[in-house]
Amino acid sequence: MSRLRWDILILVVLLAGIGWIWVNRVPTGEAVAAAGSLPAAPAIGHPAPEIVLANTEGQSFSLADLRGTPVVLNFWATWCPPCRAELPEFQAASERLAGQVAIIGVNQGETPADVQAFASQLDLTFEIPLDVEMEASRRYQVRSLPTTFFIDRSGVIRQMQVGPLTEATLSQQLRSVYP
Amino acid sequence: MLPVLQLGPFAVQTYPLALVLAGWLALAVGARAAKWLGLDGDHIYNAGLYGLLAGVIAGRLAHVLAFWPAYRSQPLEIFGFNTTAFLLWPAIFGAVAVAGWYIYQRKLPLVALLDAFAPGLLAGFAVAAIGALLTGRNPGAPANLPWSVTLWGIDRHPVQAYEAIAFAAVAAYVLRLIRLGSRGGGPALIALLGYGFTLWFVEAFRSTDVTARVLGSLRLGQVLGLVLVIAALLGLRYLATRVKAVDPQEL
Repeated sequence: MSRLRWDILILVVLLAGIGWIWVNRVPTGEAVAAAGSLPAAPAIGHPAPEIVLANTEGQSFSLADLRGTPVVLNFWATWCPPCRAELPEFQAASERLAGQVAIIGVNQGETPADVQAFASQLDLTFEIPLDVEMEASRRYQVRSLPTTFFIDRSGVIRQMQVGPLTEATLSQQLRSVYP
Repeated sequence: MLPVLQLGPFAVQTYPLALVLAGWLALAVGARAAKWLGLDGDHIYNAGLYGLLAGVIAGRLAHVLAFWPAYRSQPLEIFGFNTTAFLLWPAIFGAVAVAGWYIYQRKLPLVALLDAFAPGLLAGFAVAAIGALLTGRNPGAPANLPWSVTLWGIDRHPVQAYEAIAFAAVAAYVLRLIRLGSRGGGPALIALLGYGFTLWFVEAFRSTDVTARVLGSLRLGQVLGLVLVIAALLGLRYLATRVKAVDPQEL
């Protein structure tokens, strides 16, 4: 093929390419509107499914009450060694970010007495809802512990982590919802 | 969706596993292509593994620097096995730099190696795309088609499958070209053309929730794809007209 034909080919491809890009551009504001119209699901970009559970003191906890505050929603259990390793990081974060970020540790499938004893042992003071019937775990499709969801002020999941968090990776993931 | 694979008592995260398989396949295909190009396939493995090691170290070092206050209080975490404690672009830079250094030190033919790497990379991308499909990463736009996949109650384009098919097809075509004797950068440029075309075309079917944008509303993937397509065509033009220029029949 001669140079001229190559040049014509490249020009045609460039024009067609620009056309296809232009036709498929994303109108400004559509992405923001799209997140609100998605169904609640344990997936990035979706509104976080609602959770209503009792905490270790028998008081009702509702995730929807935290709308307007970034939330770190962690699923854990006392028998889970990686969970036990990361809980002190959540405690430190809850103290450091008190009033700015809500740290919520949903305990999976254990009794209030066992969880309360464990929390006292580790000096955990953040909210610990009890998912005794595993309903929240099913709703969030938690297949492995620990699993953590980072939810922004408007209730949309921005990051997920399966596996333990360190102080560094918690700081990194927090950036998706705070400040 | 399969974000986690349950293998007996072990729960393995699907996407990292897919990336490991993609890396292995990329090296295996690259080594095979290298043999057909008359090169020692071990160089592909060596460059790939040195690059992988360097990428891991660079990605972790960058993460440590970026989050130093956290690591200062937990210095042992610098060597921890946390698979998310890496920064991507420093890792890529480190991997490419060390692999490039290996090639330079051994005085290996760069163009032939690029021809060998190219189909391997595409095969690896195809496997990674399948991993993304299984875990619902970077999903497609809503679509009511016979082949739509349902993700969180919404039928969507299986855009990751489109990518996997396209990358695999281009990889197979490039390997065929190499087997038929194509060399001198042509296979690498064809691979780049195929990769760029896939990005440019397929990104249009990606969900806007996960689409990065430039200039306000243009999809970054599409723009990047078009740039790669034009670059590949310019390269092919150079090869084709250069060969024509030295055609002895014309002397």
